[in-house]
Amino acid sequence: MSLELTIAIIVTVVGASTPILIAALGELVVEKSGVLNLGVEGMMLVGAITGFVVAFTTGNHYLAILLAAAAGVATSMIFGFLTLSLSANQTATGLALTIFGTGFSALAGQGYSARPVTLLGPLFPAELATHPIWRVLFGYSALVYFSLAMVFAVWWFLKKSRAGLILRAVGENDLSAHSIGYSVIGVRYAAVAFGGAMAGIAGACFPLLLTPQWAERMTAGRGWIAVALVVFASWKPFRLLAGAYLFGLVMTMELYAKASGGPLSAIPAELWSAMPYLATVVVLVLISIRRDASTNAPACLGRPFLPSN
Amino acid sequence: MQFRLEKRPEPSRLMLYGTPVAAVVLTMFIGAIIFSLIGYDGIGAVREIFFTPLTNAFKWQDLGVKAAPLIIIGVGLSIAYRANVWNIGAEGQYIMGGLAAPWGALASHGAGGWWTLPAMMIAGVAGGAAYAAIPALLRTRLNVNEILTSLMLTYASVQLIYYLVRAPWKDPMGMGFPQTRRFASEALLPNIIPGTIVHAGVPIAIIVALVAWFIMTRSVFGYQMRVVGAAPHAARYGGFSENKTIWLALLVSGGLAGLAGMLEVAGPFQRMVPGFPTNYGFTAIIVAFLGRLNPLGVIFAGIVMAITFVGGEIAQTTIGLSNSATGVFQAMMLFFLLAGDILVRYRVRRVTPQVEARA
Repeated sequence: MSLELTIAIIVTVVGASTPILIAALGELVVEKSGVLNLGVEGMMLVGAITGFVVAFTTGNHYLAILLAAAAGVATSMIFGFLTLSLSANQTATGLALTIFGTGFSALAGQGYSARPVTLLGPLFPAELATHPIWRVLFGYSALVYFSLAMVFAVWWFLKKSRAGLILRAVGENDLSAHSIGYSVIGVRYAAVAFGGAMAGIAGACFPLLLTPQWAERMTAGRGWIAVALVVFASWKPFRLLAGAYLFGLVMTMELYAKASGGPLSAIPAELWSAMPYLATVVVLVLISIRRDASTNAPACLGRPFLPSN
Repeated sequence: MQFRLEKRPEPSRLMLYGTPVAAVVLTMFIGAIIFSLIGYDGIGAVREIFFTPLTNAFKWQDLGVKAAPLIIIGVGLSIAYRANVWNIGAEGQYIMGGLAAPWGALASHGAGGWWTLPAMMIAGVAGGAAYAAIPALLRTRLNVNEILTSLMLTYASVQLIYYLVRAPWKDPMGMGFPQTRRFASEALLPNIIPGTIVHAGVPIAIIVALVAWFIMTRSVFGYQMRVVGAAPHAARYGGFSENKTIWLALLVSGGLAGLAGMLEVAGPFQRMVPGFPTNYGFTAIIVAFLGRLNPLGVIFAGIVMAITFVGGEIAQTTIGLSNSATGVFQAMMLFFLLAGDILVRYRVRRVTPQVEARA
């Protein structure tokens, strides 16, 4: 395998992994606060269509990303209001959010299919990335560097900051946190909003980073894979980074197999397409065999909080 | 004046059955307002989506045909959700039922008989149940979350359809279209009302719901499902096995989804095509909740959801509204229903603020 091909694969893997990583980082923070939002896929689709429409009409990619994040927050607030203020069932509400996001994005995207936008260009000037090796480091768009920076930021926030400590306390023992005087509902609202913003940005990655167009359901279950990755990473940001890149590799293996021309190229294309989903199942099985995985879950995950009783 | 939530001594039955109705009515009102605000013909959309399918007698047959799979899958899901088993991969189990059934129909093409349809039905149920057995095995043996596994398997099953109709099952006379040949006549569901599209699946759906209602309310099995879901500790104390309940919940919901898949492929589709996954398995989640996880309620919820599907198609041709508006209305219905849930367990009390001692 040539150096060129290796580099091309690395660049593709990084691209494919980025939206999953961003969405999963958001969900990790949400779950750390004790809330399980299964609506990631729906919020991503809302972010994807928002990002696409803004990029299409204004041509400004950064504005598109910003508004996609805002749209993600707005969508997540539906979930927040139902589960936090009205203590509705989190599993059912998350599913409803995904159904809503799928329908809403399809409705809003009507008439936008087959219209092109331009992809977000590399952050650094092209001179820095002329040599293939440098391309691996400097050849990406801002979204990729954002995702990597957020791994550090989320890790630092949860481990080192005071606010992160409060958030974890709320997720581990909401009653104690409440009795010390922290607003459990307020902290969870903030976490859900952060998760919404990250899912919105992750959705915008699809038209702005991967395929420069809008297609219904274009996130293709990546939001669900992000939810699974949080479990896989046992709620640790750096494991999340490794997991997301592993999935990116699985998703782009088809290209590698075709290019190599070996026995792998005989595998039907449909099996390659099914691979990320099957890999998710395998990964969930592997993680459950390891002991520490489930014990690391936030103790209050998915439990509604009502201080009045 | 302030409002305060007060826990009810026991869940309100009025609210339990009143909130789904309120959710549908609210969806019409708020839906009309929101759709008008974002530049659509909101009142027209609500009229076409919720009322035209009922007033236009010509559309009633479509309602039956669309409601049948939703009711069958919704009944299965309502049993599973009662037991707190979150099977959200019904779409995949529906697909596997739809794939298992024609397997025999294609192999025995022209050599079938009266036994073909019953055999396909058994194959459909078995296909759906077998696919649901994977999350059941992983959950009971390894404690793997069934939400994620059942959903991931759905995405994989869609690819299996694409593969089968592209290569091994492809109709050689199909002018290159990726689809199977039309099933032989003995492998097609009979029409039960001549001159309409109403097939045998419609009465089957009603029978399934009635049988499920009887079993859930009158048998030990039904009691076990309800107790394990509502009070797992008490259930364990009473000798009900949690693992057995998980298995039963997934096998029943998967088997019913598979049955719906068989009825669809042998009924409206008459062959396997790439467009076979029509999201019935996902919409049935809303049906199960809207029907309050009660098989009789699921019949009504299935019909309501069928109205929105048929109405969505009408609105597309009459007022040019995108078909995806249906999904938005359906999701709104579920949002309102979930929001109303709090009224089942709590009552809103008006309290006059007490004068604080310091003042």
